[in-house]
Amino acid sequence: MKYLGLEYITVIAGFLLLIVGLWGIISQKNIIKMIISFSIIDTSIHLLLVAIGFIRNRTAPIIDSSVDKLKAADQITDPLPQALVLTAIVIGIGITGLMLTYALKLYRQNKSLEINQYKSLKW
Amino acid sequence: MNIFLKILFVLLGLFIVLNWGLIMSGIIRKIIARVGMRRGIKVYQPYINLIKNYSLRSQLTHGVMFYLGPVFRLSGGVGIFLFMPLIYGSEYWSNFSFTGDLILIAYFMFFGMLGMALGAGEGGHPYSGIGVARGLAQFTAVEVPFTLAIIALAIQYKTLSISEIVAAQQGGIMHWTLFTNPLATIAAMLSFLGAMGHSPFNVVMAPQENPIGPPTEYHGTFLGVLQTNRAILHVVEAVLYMNLFFGGAGNWGVLILKSFLIYFWAVFVGMVFPRFRVDQSIPWLLKIPLVSGILAIVLLMIK
Amino acid sequence: MVNPIYIIAILLGSAFLIGLFQKKEKGLAGILSVLALAFAVFVSVSWFIHFTSGQQEVLQIFTGGARPPFAINLQMGLEESLFTMVINVLGLLGFIYLYRDFREEGIKGSVIFLVLMMAMNVLIMTRDIFNIFVFLEVASIATAGLLYLKKDFRSSAAGFKYLIAVGVISSFLLIGIGFFYLHSGTLNIDTYLQSNPTAVKGISMAIFLILIAIILELKPFPANGWALDVYQAAHPGISAMISSGTATASIYLLYKLLPLSSNDWTPYLIAIGLITFVGSNILGIAQKNGNRLLGYSSIGQIGFMLTILGLAPRLGEHFHFIFLSIFISHFLAKAGLFWISGIVQKQNIKEWSVLRKNSLLLFMFGFFILTLIGFPPFPSFYGKWQLIMELAQQRFFILIVAILAGSFFEGLYLFRWFGKVMKGEEEKENSLVIKWEKILPPVLFTIFAVIASYFLNNASEYGHSLNLIPIYFIILLFLLDFLPAWIKNSLVITAMVIYSVRLYPLIADDSLRLIFAGIFMLGGILTLFAGYSIKGKRAGFFPFAVMMYAGLMGLIEAENLFQFFFSWELMTLGSYILILRGKKSLIHAFNYMLFSLGGAYLIFIGIALSYFGHHSMDLNILSSSTMPGWSYSLLAIGFLTKTAALGLHIWLPGAHAEAESDVSPMVSGILLKGGVFGLILLFLLMGAEQSEQHTLLYVLGWLGALTALVGNLLAVFQEDAKRLLAYSSVGNLGYILFALAFMTNVGWLTALTYSINHFLFKTLLFLAIGGVVMRVKTHKMYEMGGLIKQMPWSFIAVLIGIITLAGIPPLAGYAGKWLFYNAVITKGWYFQGALVFFSGTIAFLYCFKLIYSIFLGQPKDKFRKVKEVPIWYIIPQAVLIIGIMIFSARPDLILKPLGNMLAQSNYFPTDPLSWENVTASTNLGYWSGYKIMLVIGVMFVILLLWLMLMSRKAQKIKQFNIVYAGERPFKPETTHFSHNMFSHYYKALGFLSLPLATGFWNGVNSVTHQVADSTRRIYTGNGQTYIIHILIYILIVYMLMF
Repeated sequence: MKYLGLEYITVIAGFLLLIVGLWGIISQKNIIKMIISFSIIDTSIHLLLVAIGFIRNRTAPIIDSSVDKLKAADQITDPLPQALVLTAIVIGIGITGLMLTYALKLYRQNKSLEINQYKSLKW
Repeated sequence: MNIFLKILFVLLGLFIVLNWGLIMSGIIRKIIARVGMRRGIKVYQPYINLIKNYSLRSQLTHGVMFYLGPVFRLSGGVGIFLFMPLIYGSEYWSNFSFTGDLILIAYFMFFGMLGMALGAGEGGHPYSGIGVARGLAQFTAVEVPFTLAIIALAIQYKTLSISEIVAAQQGGIMHWTLFTNPLATIAAMLSFLGAMGHSPFNVVMAPQENPIGPPTEYHGTFLGVLQTNRAILHVVEAVLYMNLFFGGAGNWGVLILKSFLIYFWAVFVGMVFPRFRVDQSIPWLLKIPLVSGILAIVLLMIK
Repeated sequence: MVNPIYIIAILLGSAFLIGLFQKKEKGLAGILSVLALAFAVFVSVSWFIHFTSGQQEVLQIFTGGARPPFAINLQMGLEESLFTMVINVLGLLGFIYLYRDFREEGIKGSVIFLVLMMAMNVLIMTRDIFNIFVFLEVASIATAGLLYLKKDFRSSAAGFKYLIAVGVISSFLLIGIGFFYLHSGTLNIDTYLQSNPTAVKGISMAIFLILIAIILELKPFPANGWALDVYQAAHPGISAMISSGTATASIYLLYKLLPLSSNDWTPYLIAIGLITFVGSNILGIAQKNGNRLLGYSSIGQIGFMLTILGLAPRLGEHFHFIFLSIFISHFLAKAGLFWISGIVQKQNIKEWSVLRKNSLLLFMFGFFILTLIGFPPFPSFYGKWQLIMELAQQRFFILIVAILAGSFFEGLYLFRWFGKVMKGEEEKENSLVIKWEKILPPVLFTIFAVIASYFLNNASEYGHSLNLIPIYFIILLFLLDFLPAWIKNSLVITAMVIYSVRLYPLIADDSLRLIFAGIFMLGGILTLFAGYSIKGKRAGFFPFAVMMYAGLMGLIEAENLFQFFFSWELMTLGSYILILRGKKSLIHAFNYMLFSLGGAYLIFIGIALSYFGHHSMDLNILSSSTMPGWSYSLLAIGFLTKTAALGLHIWLPGAHAEAESDVSPMVSGILLKGGVFGLILLFLLMGAEQSEQHTLLYVLGWLGALTALVGNLLAVFQEDAKRLLAYSSVGNLGYILFALAFMTNVGWLTALTYSINHFLFKTLLFLAIGGVVMRVKTHKMYEMGGLIKQMPWSFIAVLIGIITLAGIPPLAGYAGKWLFYNAVITKGWYFQGALVFFSGTIAFLYCFKLIYSIFLGQPKDKFRKVKEVPIWYIIPQAVLIIGIMIFSARPDLILKPLGNMLAQSNYFPTDPLSWENVTASTNLGYWSGYKIMLVIGVMFVILLLWLMLMSRKAQKIKQFNIVYAGERPFKPETTHFSHNMFSHYYKALGFLSLPLATGFWNGVNSVTHQVADSTRRIYTGNGQTYIIHILIYILIVYMLMF
């Protein structure tokens, strides 16, 4: 292996981001920062999924002028992970949106965005 | 044997025992007085008391149980007499001992005590209750060495029948339980002190603290009944110990002598030692008497 | 058949359609949702019927116009149809329950709810892994959305924590799915399984991530703080959906995905499940909040199901039955309890006593609690039994202990809750607001649970051997509870008479069983007579009284160990609730239940150990246990909790003393004999030949003797009349245990004589004293006195009772004492024997105290007008006295056949007791009850007549004719002699009565509570801590696995 392939960079970046995100989610006290950390985790997974579907020297799985319709299967990368990523992005956005709504509601009720402040339920 | 003849002999025996009991208590009280440098009563004074009490006219009752108390008490005394074989080898003087054994007598003793306790209780005077509670409490501890002694005897003689225990002791003084099983005898004779209710175990009657103990609730005929019972009971209990530990009696003369000496043992100790409180007497009974009872059994088990 | 895809289509379509509605059309939205959900129910039910009526073929549903692996496929088989059915039924009822709450919110609630339902249906049916991720997320979003609707900010905080936690978990799931695809090239479960996968490091890692994510969704202890917060904060209607719905879907998911892994997950699942089950239940002990407590219990139950899932390969054909039994109980009970919680609307479990305002709710609450604990005949009992037996066959003894320990802790807090609801402080607020849509779902679930019990009973291995007639009768009594007490009482007495007549020929040739059946049935009928004195409906009394007696009779009739244990539990349950009915019996009933529950589980283990290596449940397997030391000891200790042996006795005094006047004789005179019967059965079967049995019996002998001593001694120092009798029962049961441990003919005869005697006199005494207590309204003896004038009959009854108790000739008690001496001396247990005899004399003290303080002495002013006890108390007393008299005069009537029977049995062939007419004799001594009675009777009458003649003019003295000395009528406890009557005795021997056992159990109790309370502090309430828990959890499982 002469140089680091794109897929490896993506995988490494994905895992690094995952760790960053996890670290953020457990270390940041601010709810908004936690949500951002969650988004980072999300993104890292998307990167990983894309890397999984990547096949070197092939093009994106979109049937257009650059792809021969008859030999498409040999020319494009695996379309499935990409579809998965698309779905995951949608879901991730949904969840992030809901989290933000919660953040808003919490702030309106309590005037605080510190996760430490919401410990009335415990034990 | 004809049942009527049997009843006749039983009644005769009861008459003898009652008289001997009255005389014995007179003698004992005379002795106690003389030891205390007093003149004392006449020996026949118990007879006079009995006659006087039975003939007193003014009578009161507190209720049914009060009334039944003395009946229970006397039934208890006479009952033990009825179940006790008196003279060894004599069918005539064996009473109704064929109905039950040593255990029957041991448990029937409670019959009179219970009735008495309840009767006096209905009198309503708290001192009666106090006396009874003390008596019962002390009695539980008295029973412990005695029970151990009974078990020891049962192991030794392999029977619970009093007649057979007496039979096993025949053939000379060295066959008495006193010598064949001295530890059991010690346990039993120490417990006998408690059972007799003389000092140091007489806090139950305690005239000083309780000007009106259980018997004093009763008067007139009731008291007469109780005195009758006491005369019978003292002799019968002494006879029980005689049968168990001192070889029984072959005739009335021996019976009278032995029962006097056994009874006198309790009186003798009482004259020498001051009185225990209940919480003192119980631990005392659970020391030397208990240990000797246990040792008696242990020795028999080792054999 | 309707294609199941339409479930999804209709649910999703309705959700979208409602989304288009305006706010004012919310009524229409509600109707549409109900219709959609009802349609889902209809489809899944029709498929379930289709599959259960013999169809095998599994329906595959293809989507997207292609076959898998190119498109997603769903599957509808028996399992899927069952799980979609229960979830859809839950959804429909859950929606109806939440209907009014949703209306207030407009249309949003309905939309989200329908989406949640759709997601769960897909999760169960889908065969595609990525689909699972998508719909798990949809379900999470929907759940969080439902949480969002509640205004409370604590709910919002919980919702946020939930989202974060679930988000992290599903990230791991997604990573797992990605790598799964990378290595396998497919996302379809079936395709992957058909391709004969080989274990590569990469793919096993991927599958690990998928499975651990699903497991984390199931809230394993301790990585489950987020879930607890949700349970506590959410609207109970939604908690019900999470606990019963989402959890069900997730556990089915796990079941579906497990085959993917080539690693053996079995031990890990078992461990995870058990840690969750035990840990969660221990923490529940310290919990006071009702909803959170339900959360702990819910998590515990799911852990239990995980364990069973892990055990699936070992359980073989029994797996489905066991799993279903546990699952369905949890599913129905947990949803029902959450629903009830929503009606109660109280946080602290103490305040739940408001349930008492509505008997239907109260009944359902009790029903669900008992379903959770797994008492028979509730559904989970059958599964638990089967599970424990299977585990025993495979030597998983540690697992058995852990499962039962977890169950015990669960029982602990559930019963405490139950007790507080039944007997806790009255809530001042007026009534509950009950709307029809809130009460309908739990009612239906109760009915479902009854139906489930019926089917599980039929399906269980030994269920068909049970006699269910008493159970039906109990249900009937519940339905007839509106009738006045006297009608129900007559009904019950009639039923018991009929039952006795039916039973008699079955056991006529077995004197042992006959005697105990006599005690149970005759005693039952007699004690029920006393109930006629109670006016009104006496709601909820009769079903449980019958339950207790049915249990007792079941012990007699039991032919196999299943029936025996079933009856044992039934008896325990019935008696617990009877005891709980007393005014101040809350804590005592709870103690009783704890000891009984612990005891029952020990018996359970004992049975399981004995079952090992056998292929039948017959009672006889006890005689050839392969682990005699353990199994017999455990069984014995289990039975001893019921007979209140020393150390296990602390529940008895309170329970017996604080029970209602006519319940005390039932639980004391009669119920205790259930334990004795258990011991007898055990001893009979185990024999005394081997050294293990020998040691056990020797220890039990000493235990019995010490119990007798301490029980009697404690009775002496009581001021409470009923407590005194209760301690006396402890002592008496000590005698019985002692005598049974002899394992000789005379010893057993003694024990049986004692059992009969104790039944006669203790029932008599408790009836008499209970009647007195009912009249004077106090238990304190020193507050009574002189009652002989007002209650002569009770006095006579007590007098006869104590003479019998004390063993004074001529009454029947003496028979026991005489046999005892013989037994002790022949056996050679002299010192234990002496101890027992000493206890016997101690009994005189309390006998005297009892009768003296109550009936004799000075009458008290306030009781001058009390009346004799009601005739309904006197009738049974009279019968018992006649019984005592007959037994006293002719003991041979009962003892002779008993002796013969014992002599004919294999164990006691030598019969040292011989009868000559009415005289019994042994090598040692002799005794003739009849003649003694005659001699004493004649003498007594003669002396009485004589005294009456001598003192015929006696004059009656009134109370005030004599002095009052030493007793001041005001403040009786300081000046009354009979208060602290035996203080001197206490000084001398009180050291023997120090409450060591109570201290020990209090210590155990406080340590358990402290452990629970300090451990549950790991749930700090901080969302980030929960995430850390999840991460650590994944790490630890990973490191253990790879």
